[in-house]
Amino acid sequence: MADFTRRDFIRIGAALAALPMLPEGLLAVPNPDLAVARNGAPGLLVRKAVEAIGGMGRFVKKGQTVLLKPNMGWDRLPEQAANTNPEAVAEVVRMCLEAGASRVRVLDRTCNEPRRCYMRSGIEKAAKAAGAEVRHIVDSRFQDLAISGGELLTSWPVYRDALESDVIINMPIAKHHNISGVTLSFKNLMGLLGGDRGALHNHFMTKIVDINMAIRPSLTIIDAWRIMLRNGPTGGSLADVAEKQLFIASADRVAADAWAMGLFNIDPNTVEYLRIAAKRGLGQLDLKRVKIQEINLGV
Amino acid sequence: MMITLRRISQLLFLSLFVLLFFQARFPYEAWLPADLFLRASPLVALTVMIASRAFIASTILALIVLALTIPLGRFFCGWVCPLGTIIDGSDHLIRRKRRPARQRDPLTWRSWKFFLLAALLVAALFSTQFIWFFDPIALLTRTFTTVLHPAFSFLLGGLFNAAFGLHLFEDQVYSLYDAAQAGGLMPVQQPRLYENMAIALIFAAILGLGMVSRRFWCRNLCPLGALLGIFSKYRLTRRHVSAACTKCSICQRECKMNAIEDDYSINNTVECIECAECVSVCKPRAVSYTIGRSRGENRIDLSRRRLLQASAAGAAGLMLFKTAAAGRIRKGQALRPPGALTEPQFLDRCIRCQECVKICATTGACLQPALTEAGIEGLWSPVSVPREGYCEYSCNLCGQVCPTGAIQPLTLAQKQKSRMGTAYFDKTRCIPWYRQEDCLVCEEHCPLPDKAIKFDIREARGPDGSMRTVKFPYVVEDLCIGCGICENKCPVVGAPGIFLTAAREIRLAEPGKSGLKGT
Repeated sequence: MADFTRRDFIRIGAALAALPMLPEGLLAVPNPDLAVARNGAPGLLVRKAVEAIGGMGRFVKKGQTVLLKPNMGWDRLPEQAANTNPEAVAEVVRMCLEAGASRVRVLDRTCNEPRRCYMRSGIEKAAKAAGAEVRHIVDSRFQDLAISGGELLTSWPVYRDALESDVIINMPIAKHHNISGVTLSFKNLMGLLGGDRGALHNHFMTKIVDINMAIRPSLTIIDAWRIMLRNGPTGGSLADVAEKQLFIASADRVAADAWAMGLFNIDPNTVEYLRIAAKRGLGQLDLKRVKIQEINLGV
Repeated sequence: MMITLRRISQLLFLSLFVLLFFQARFPYEAWLPADLFLRASPLVALTVMIASRAFIASTILALIVLALTIPLGRFFCGWVCPLGTIIDGSDHLIRRKRRPARQRDPLTWRSWKFFLLAALLVAALFSTQFIWFFDPIALLTRTFTTVLHPAFSFLLGGLFNAAFGLHLFEDQVYSLYDAAQAGGLMPVQQPRLYENMAIALIFAAILGLGMVSRRFWCRNLCPLGALLGIFSKYRLTRRHVSAACTKCSICQRECKMNAIEDDYSINNTVECIECAECVSVCKPRAVSYTIGRSRGENRIDLSRRRLLQASAAGAAGLMLFKTAAAGRIRKGQALRPPGALTEPQFLDRCIRCQECVKICATTGACLQPALTEAGIEGLWSPVSVPREGYCEYSCNLCGQVCPTGAIQPLTLAQKQKSRMGTAYFDKTRCIPWYRQEDCLVCEEHCPLPDKAIKFDIREARGPDGSMRTVKFPYVVEDLCIGCGICENKCPVVGAPGIFLTAAREIRLAEPGKSGLKGT
């Protein structure tokens, strides 16, 4: 301690004070565009994946309100992999609150009876325990949203929380689906839509991109801890579920969906909605141009 | 004192009735069975057991009520029956300042209920169970399910919408909204039930008859009252009138059941409902209840001639029902809930209480009271109407609240194999088939682990002349269990592109035996 002179003190102090003035890129290693965390408990993996792309603080600032949109659309149990993993949803809630979110809301417009879905998916209980507001859909809270740049849709009723929240986090589970091949982040946003969603199913590929033009999540987390390989999106048989123990996190939803397509042995370049989305500038479809960090927590 | 006790008892039982009514919901966590009151009606138990020729263990409570009636008289009518309590309340609203010296309905009208009871029992003997129309507990549960609860839920929903519209205290308002839904006060989907008008009119008429006389229904029409009256003939309490009686006639005028004879000391024990009104209105306190055999007049107002007439009426009625047109188209489209007995046995037992409809309204909301969908004999019996709702794959609650076992309780695994019918495509309306465009909403929602809706991918020429690949869906009969979610979610406006019929439905052949049998 004796060597620590007043001069040193001033020098170090000045250097520390100057640190925030340096361009970000000089100090820190730049964040990867997409992170994949493998082999571990769902909560741990989702945390590692988000930390790898810059941590929750990159997306959620102090005092902001967050809308977290898992898939809990089906009256199914967690092990049937029709809904997002409840432990992972709870962990993301905790991360948002740690980052200073003033409020984290979790909701979905379900396909089966809502109370059954919220309860049996395990998400309601887990997210509430983690400090989220788990909200059921109130019909009067849908309002028409104009879609600028939509090709087939010019407006659609959207849930007010999606319009009012500062941050939207989209958290789908990766599932087989006969309309889009696989259902991932793009289709998951349908849970924020009002109106007759069945009408979206023809010319689905264009319409789902239109919807994604209007609702823009800042963070996409894909739950591939368990994935549903066949008979999606409802599933039901454990034989159709594969345990992959994997989470994907990215601010680029096209890249996230594209990477996840690989889990189903699908070349993302052949997926029509991803091609349309990339063309409209919603993200990077060419995974060679995406900086990917893979984390393996397994031995 | 007695009268205060009676009022407390009436209010407690009415509250219990309402509480149990709301208990019939998902999640069904009953501390008492939701259908407790229905199980306690001796009329239901007796008639259904006669009609179905089976002992129904769940109605054991009804036998206890009947046994208690022998010593206690019609305590059920005066102290327990929730419809009686509601009628008392409504009579109170209707009541005039001064009651006329004589009650306005003639004493001879009292015989109607015995006539009705006899006719219904004769019909039941020949396996036509029509008691469902008249049993007060079934009638009230039905009115609650189809009329009062939907109205209440609508009102509550409107209030919440108005409150949400103010954008004040949003979190608190939402908490209340959530609690109202979770507590079953207000299902997520506003219940909209068929036949609510007719059922409401009947209920209104029953209350409106209070303008003729108090407890008009209980005095003259209720066949459960008639049955209990017959048993209460031998009751062990007796109304004692002391010498202090001044013959002022107030007890006779105030008697809800018009059970007090002209010399005021004698009451008709068949009609008396033990309400103790006469004790409390007597100024000189001349009236009391004591233990002992009554020396009252025990007349059951049904002559041998009337009994014969009643039997003839019952027989005539059942002939009409039994020879009604088969209605193959309608009946072939009437889907019964999973676990339903074979149709004749089902109709022997179903008392149209709508308890199944009530609990279904909180999950898939497919069950509706039928008009003629299940034939004239199936009026108000539950049918699944997939365009209105669908049978939730992991729900087996309807069988758990059926008081008579018309719908047998099934385990979830049994239920998921219990086929209600089969889906068929209408290719003139299904979007891929008539318009050559992809849709697959039905396939998406099909809940079977091995989906009953599959599809072929083929080239097809669209309406604009262009060639395209289209997914053409079809039903795999052997996989379909007829839950109807495909018809429910079909985005075609009006008549759907996929619809259900009762083809290949599975009905339980005999209650109490395990294993499912196809018909």
